[in-house]
Amino acid sequence: MKGAQEPSLQSKLQFLQAILWILFVIFALRLFYLQVIQGPYYRLLSENNYTRPTVLRAPRGMILDRNGAVLCRNQVSFSLVLDTAKGGSLDQTLLNMQRILGLVMTKEEVRAALRRSPVPSLAVLARDIPTAWMQKVEANQDELKMLRIEMELRREYPFGPVASHALGYVGLLSPEEAQKLHVSDNDPFIEVGKSGVERTANALLMGKNGLRMAQVNSLGREVEDPTLKLPGVGIRREPIPGQTVHLTLDIQLQNILEQAFGEEHGSAVFMNPQTGDILAWVSLPNFDPNLFSGAVPASKWRELSEDPSHPLLDRPIQGVYPPGSTFKPFVALVGLEDGVLTPDTTFYCPGYWDFGGRVFHCWAKGGHGTVNLLKGIQDSCDVYFYHAGDRIGIQRMDKWAKFFGLGTKTGVDLPSEISGIFPSPAWKAKRHLGPWYPGDNLPVAIGQGYLTVTPLQLLSIYATLATGGERFQPKLLEGPPKLESSVAISPQTEAVLKQALELVVESGTGTACRIPGVAVCAKTGTAQVVEASAGRNSMSLPKDERDHAWFAGFAPAGNPTVAFVVMVEHGGHGGDLAAKIAKAGLEYLLLGKKPAPPDEGTKAAPGGQAPEQETPPNPDAPLKAHLGAVAPPPRLLTARYAGGVNPRGRP
Amino acid sequence: MKKTLREAVSYGDFVTAGLYLALLIFGVLMVRSATFGTRFANLGNRQIFWAVLAFGAFSLAFLIPYAIWVEYSYLLYGLCVAVLLSMPVLGHYVGGHKSWLYIGPIGFEPSEFAKVAAALAGAAFIKELVGRTMGWREIGILSGIIGLPMLLTLLQPDFGTATTFIPLIAVALYLSFLPLTQIVKWAAIGILGLMLLLALGWFTFLKPYQKDRIITFVHPTANTRGAGYQVNQARIAVGSGELLGKGLYSGTQNRLNFLPAPHTDFIFGVVAEETGFLGSLALLGLYLSLLLRFLSTASAARDAEGRFIVLCAFAIILYHVLINIGMVIGLVPTTGIPLPFLSYGGSFLVSMSLFVGLAANVRSRRYAQ
Repeated sequence: MKGAQEPSLQSKLQFLQAILWILFVIFALRLFYLQVIQGPYYRLLSENNYTRPTVLRAPRGMILDRNGAVLCRNQVSFSLVLDTAKGGSLDQTLLNMQRILGLVMTKEEVRAALRRSPVPSLAVLARDIPTAWMQKVEANQDELKMLRIEMELRREYPFGPVASHALGYVGLLSPEEAQKLHVSDNDPFIEVGKSGVERTANALLMGKNGLRMAQVNSLGREVEDPTLKLPGVGIRREPIPGQTVHLTLDIQLQNILEQAFGEEHGSAVFMNPQTGDILAWVSLPNFDPNLFSGAVPASKWRELSEDPSHPLLDRPIQGVYPPGSTFKPFVALVGLEDGVLTPDTTFYCPGYWDFGGRVFHCWAKGGHGTVNLLKGIQDSCDVYFYHAGDRIGIQRMDKWAKFFGLGTKTGVDLPSEISGIFPSPAWKAKRHLGPWYPGDNLPVAIGQGYLTVTPLQLLSIYATLATGGERFQPKLLEGPPKLESSVAISPQTEAVLKQALELVVESGTGTACRIPGVAVCAKTGTAQVVEASAGRNSMSLPKDERDHAWFAGFAPAGNPTVAFVVMVEHGGHGGDLAAKIAKAGLEYLLLGKKPAPPDEGTKAAPGGQAPEQETPPNPDAPLKAHLGAVAPPPRLLTARYAGGVNPRGRP
Repeated sequence: MKKTLREAVSYGDFVTAGLYLALLIFGVLMVRSATFGTRFANLGNRQIFWAVLAFGAFSLAFLIPYAIWVEYSYLLYGLCVAVLLSMPVLGHYVGGHKSWLYIGPIGFEPSEFAKVAAALAGAAFIKELVGRTMGWREIGILSGIIGLPMLLTLLQPDFGTATTFIPLIAVALYLSFLPLTQIVKWAAIGILGLMLLLALGWFTFLKPYQKDRIITFVHPTANTRGAGYQVNQARIAVGSGELLGKGLYSGTQNRLNFLPAPHTDFIFGVVAEETGFLGSLALLGLYLSLLLRFLSTASAARDAEGRFIVLCAFAIILYHVLINIGMVIGLVPTTGIPLPFLSYGGSFLVSMSLFVGLAANVRSRRYAQ
């Protein structure tokens, strides 16, 4: 039996043996491929399986004023986050969310939130959520697998809208910003400054997030297993909190000034001329930056950005206006320093000047008679400065302009500063406005024509005058002063100008700012909104057609420690409200006087005209209609700010 | 008895016994690692008990001359069939099928023992064929002997375990009168028929989860949270072991529950993850050595029935190893077929041990008269 079957059986067994070897070689090769060739790839997958990075959020730095008052801090709040990396159907999650939380969101809205997010898989659905939601999300995890609650630190501004333009606001990091700032954290809650100091000091304020690698099991639960020591687990990188930023701002002064404005719009900046420290930064109307640190509803945002009074505009550096009469002291300075004028130079003012057939009017119809420099400034005589401007010429003014910060940005540490225009023949040619005519000098000399400034640039002129020629870069962040430019103004010139400006407050157009015991140097001015006929009282016009009122100066005269500019939009005559606002600030700074209760403030108007009183013709009235030939080109003024000087009715 | 003992010792197949013991120890270690720190931690200790019991079964199968086993095979076979027939009444539901029988606190799967009994009964039938060649009629009877318990298992309905009878029928066919070329031809036809059956079954009797497993086999990453999850996680476990492995008790896929059924069907995932390519290759080497040893024993066997028993052991262990490891490393679809000597489970370990013991028995008594 054995012999008969042997050959066939042996070959069958050999065949089996061959098959066996082939199968095992195939298996061994497959294992080699998975474990040796693809091993590192699968090791990474297994590490991703068991590790879960948790972001340890770094708090953003606080912002303090010069006396240590907290202007901005952080508040713990909770947010609802959608994680698409978790399995599940988005449609079903949205339905469950609507049923369980009552939150209605469309798929489109979620997609938009995902696009906005710096982490492609995470979308912040709602911020600052009610506590009831937290429990509901936790309790219904099986139905809301894609949702989770995240703790975040929300920005809080205890003073609300006060100093909002200086502080700015924050918002969630956009993908573009992430790229620009080289932020690569996997955290959808990183906030960056979008405006104000929040933006300029963003690098200091922003901390660096930490990271913790937790070990999780297949259910996503964190497990701590001392018997299992794994690479990558237990790593903990502590967050680096943002630095506290100290501002030069004095929140009390800020409060006093904002209250002094009452319902009016406008801007005011107070600064130490010897350091550039900004003590107050008023831009009204303001906004509440707290609104921006939660999720900003689109409607709220639209409301703010479409408000015709432009609450988001940072007026001191983004509002551009003609300086009007506040420019005259600069013209006088150039004349005196370049020897074109002396304090005794006189011109005769009959109320107008016929310049080669074109008639330039003075604000005083009857004229000022024979006027010297002091009287010219004190009474703000236009004819005096037409003559002065004609003698000095634009070249001399241009030479001095750069020492006073005209036509260039001041470099203040706030974002999006723009500059007014200091016109010159070269500038005019570049704009294709023709050659510089001698007649062009005249309106510039009284702060009109092509000339425009931002309130901060105007402040810069007065601050430089106050220091005798040293111009410091205005700054909100505490730090060493930075000298921008320096020019030696002769002591004689300085004395003459200070005397003239003191007279303005003592007995001229700025008496509303007279403070007993303090020598205040200041000048009023008017920026025209709608052209008015000569001598017409702008206070009789409808409110939104009234001129803007300027008041700029410094104090005390001997050793100026504060320079200021106040601009009241549609404030009409500069001597009234603007001067009173400045007075409130100066009294606080120089005399330590705390603000009076509001009802008292309106009664007391020491040395100034009562508001009801019949107003004399505006001494700082702008140029008249027949100067149309040299009127500022509308597009330049309206390009940034339609609410500033409105050249309505001009060609 | 004295004589048989001396016989077993002098010609004893200690190579098979050594390989068996190595696999047994390896298995206990892996089950302990796969259950460490989980709610199945006690199974690690229980597997030691099973291993001891299995070693006892191995010794029994080894020491009692296989001629005696064959002699009483019909009795054993009859007993097994009777128990299987009574399963609808006596059986316990575990995992959706009535395949467990409990005697006191100890549960076992009769179908596992039916495999051994079927192989022995088949051997007894072959013994009676002495001198005659196996024709179609004989093959039919042999297939019927093996097919009966298979059918009863299928009715439990334990599809996975039922398929493990197929290798026994394959052995019967392989040893038939047909020449090799014919067998290869029939095997090819058989595979084609199986595929046709599968295609047919797709639209008729396959359950959704079974279809899922087939889809997952073709596209493992298609749905990483659904059907593909197990296969995907198993592959990560295998791959992340790399050359040297993460160390015993240190497999993250295993310990943190990413690997499904780590102590039963997917235990090879634990081996691959914790002992790496070298460990996996060593285990494959143990299986290969054991199976080559069986082929050599089949060649040296004294009689046809011995040869049949060894080849049954060969076929059934090969089938389990190929299907199980193939599943873990993504070469075959997911099935519930355990890995011999490694997967947790008493009945399976005992039945596999009986097969190895019988194989060693056949080799040890190859010169006996």
